[in-house]
Amino acid sequence: MTAVISASHLSKWYGNVLGLNDISLELEEGITGLLGPNGAGKSTFMKLVTGQMKPAIGTVAIRGRRVWNDPEIFQGIGFCPEQDVFYEDMTGSEFLAGLLRFYGFPKKEIDDRAARALDVVDLTADKDRLIRGYSRGMRQRIKFAQAIAHDPGILILDEPLSGLDPLGKRKLIKLIKGFKDEGRTVIVSSHVLPEIEALTSQIVLIHQGQILAQGDIPYIRELIEAHPHQISVRSSDPRALAARFVGDRSIQKMTFAADGQTLVVETHKRDEFFGRLTGIVLEGGIEVDEISSPDDNLQAVFEYLVGK
Amino acid sequence: MAIVREKGYTHWNGQLVERRFPWAPIARTGVRLAFRKKGFKFVFAMAFMPSFVFLVTLYISERLEDFKGFVQGNTALLNVDPNYFKLFLTSGFVLFSLLLVLVFAAAGLIAEDLKHNSLQLYFARPIGKKDYILGKMSVVAFFILILVALPWLLLVVFKLIFAGNFKFFLQYPWLPLSILGYSLLLTVFLGCYVLLLSAVSRNTRYVIVLIFGVYYFSSVLAEILKKAFGSPYMALFSIPADLQQAGAALFGQKLPLAIPAFWSFLILAGICVLAAAVLNRKIRSVEVIK
Amino acid sequence: MTVAKAVRQVFGFFAFLGRKAGKVRVFAVLGLMPVALAVVVRIVLHGRSGPMAAVFTEILMVFFLQFYIVILALFYGTSITAEEVENRTLSYLITRPLPKAAIVLGKFAAYVLLMFGMVVVSLALSYFIMNAARLSDPELYLTFLRYLGVLGLGIVAYTAFFTLLGTFLKRAIIVGLVFGFGWENVIQYFPGSTQKFSIVHYLKSLLPYHPASISGGRGVALLLFRLEPTKPLAAVLMLAAVSAALLALACWLFRTKEYLYED
Repeated sequence: MTAVISASHLSKWYGNVLGLNDISLELEEGITGLLGPNGAGKSTFMKLVTGQMKPAIGTVAIRGRRVWNDPEIFQGIGFCPEQDVFYEDMTGSEFLAGLLRFYGFPKKEIDDRAARALDVVDLTADKDRLIRGYSRGMRQRIKFAQAIAHDPGILILDEPLSGLDPLGKRKLIKLIKGFKDEGRTVIVSSHVLPEIEALTSQIVLIHQGQILAQGDIPYIRELIEAHPHQISVRSSDPRALAARFVGDRSIQKMTFAADGQTLVVETHKRDEFFGRLTGIVLEGGIEVDEISSPDDNLQAVFEYLVGK
Repeated sequence: MAIVREKGYTHWNGQLVERRFPWAPIARTGVRLAFRKKGFKFVFAMAFMPSFVFLVTLYISERLEDFKGFVQGNTALLNVDPNYFKLFLTSGFVLFSLLLVLVFAAAGLIAEDLKHNSLQLYFARPIGKKDYILGKMSVVAFFILILVALPWLLLVVFKLIFAGNFKFFLQYPWLPLSILGYSLLLTVFLGCYVLLLSAVSRNTRYVIVLIFGVYYFSSVLAEILKKAFGSPYMALFSIPADLQQAGAALFGQKLPLAIPAFWSFLILAGICVLAAAVLNRKIRSVEVIK
Repeated sequence: MTVAKAVRQVFGFFAFLGRKAGKVRVFAVLGLMPVALAVVVRIVLHGRSGPMAAVFTEILMVFFLQFYIVILALFYGTSITAEEVENRTLSYLITRPLPKAAIVLGKFAAYVLLMFGMVVVSLALSYFIMNAARLSDPELYLTFLRYLGVLGLGIVAYTAFFTLLGTFLKRAIIVGLVFGFGWENVIQYFPGSTQKFSIVHYLKSLLPYHPASISGGRGVALLLFRLEPTKPLAAVLMLAAVSAALLALACWLFRTKEYLYED
């Protein structure tokens, strides 16, 4: 697959502060989550990709075209900024229609597109209210609407779910996933891990201006060989189960959970452990009710990589 | 008996004491933020220029013999008396430099709070509207008193030091009070003026335009009306003229305008009352959007 | 999209937005001051057209030329870039398929039109009220058009200058104030060719003013104090060239500079 967005040795300084540190990456079609704590460099990367800033060193390109000072590239890009800012004296529909003019659409098409975008984000009833009077959630939705109104092939969303209530978040997540099914490319940034997990399994982890990891969550998890896997086993007799494992050299650590029914094991060799566990269950005598991997998720990957 | 404390959230067991000056943190922060602005320190330093020039003239006036060649018979210009103090203090340049300092330090005092919806944060604390306004006014007061009252009172002291006697003070004992009075007039008026305009808009740039615009427009308008109607009372429309008239009255000197000083004080007071009314309306914790 | 089309679209957007802004009302009310003055003067100087013409030329034009258009151009000119950066709405513009020069030029055109509209209304009302007794005189209308032309050129030139300032300076408004109310006023006292280093010199050179015929040669008009006028055609060309150069520089700067929001 050809890269939609590619960055090569991309670096950016703010005075003496290093915002992005020699980043090279390629993002392909589909939804990619850009994940990192506050100040990691996500917004800096987004601003470079959307041509709002010039790279100090390196290049960033969209479908092979460098972004800086190439306005034509934005015909097919929709950007939803993080800041909660608008032309406050406009109504929702005026705002969308006004921005749609910049794509060269005829008047009728502008009105149709604006109406469709408002409908998608459930703001049709409030389209004639001044944006100044919108609630936080409405403002976030109109911001999203202006990013999609011209049907871009590439969507770049900087914290799109912030300020939305749980229902709003669910709707938007469903919408974004729908874009992927339509063959569009979506880059979403967030520092809220469950949001990213709900959207995609393809992530780029950024911290202190560097890419810590890129790929799908299980793959990244596998990469972290040094960090033992945690497996939680709930059974009728966890102590007996522990006794069967205590001599195993692949087991790093065993603890009992507060409920008294669960054995939590840390091991480097997950597959080997599961093989032994299956054998023990088949031998009989110990009933296993539930097996789970508490750290086989983005939170654990993130915390480990970020060093918390 | 040993006390074992749990590591966790602990509630402070002390008693909250009501602050005597709840506006003080607002004032302190305002002054600190002003000094953080780029270019402000330069503008602030330049605002001391008139007092520095005056200090030099004070020195020369006491050492006329040494500067005979330099002065070349223009000794009348160096006759330091209350009128001389008044001329300097009420000059256009001093007022302009004060405005410039206030533009940096005070134009955004309320405008920025309105822009960022910070009023709710202020009033979620145990402070009232009065404390808020007093705090903001104190920022203006700080700069005006530092730029006017302090250096000019010190200049009176320098005059006595350079003269080597108290003759000047004995001749004009009310001069320090005049300086203080004029400083207070400037503090109250310019504070009200700047805060009024700052409360009128969320856009600091627009407030800056208004501060200078209204100030200079009033002069232009007064000039136009004076030419059209030929009446000296038209000068009352000019804010700088009113300040100069009031300053002359406070220094007990000949008034620059051929009208009673009372009218200028009235105009200035009127603007302060307008400012109080606007601030009372604009400063509230809840914004009503129609 | 071509630059011309993009300029048209940006113009339309900001002409609409500019009309809605509350500040327009404030500036429009400011422009009504000379109208109110014209009404008052008309009542006071009823029937005396000579003195009224002199009042307009010598007094009201001071307001328009040395205050109103300067303050309008200062605010709107610096707003072209500064407003978008301060309000953080610049992202909405530069992530559209618009050449950056079109953003500057389109906004410039929109704001110039807005300012011109305010000036036309104010000038027309005050001028024709002051000269109500001479409405049948065709010379009156030519003079009005000339005044309007001068103010229009002034708006363009000043706005171009302040646009450039706003594009590369953070505190453009303060530098603009010093230029507009400091330099432009003080420069008239400088001898020789120094006057030519100001915009107001060329504007004053274009004024339809004849001191001997209006005020009987008595006194000196406020506006034309110490003026050594440039020939009208040269003045127009100079203003046009300076405006074009300043705008071109502003466009180039806007294209090459990156604007960071203050956090």
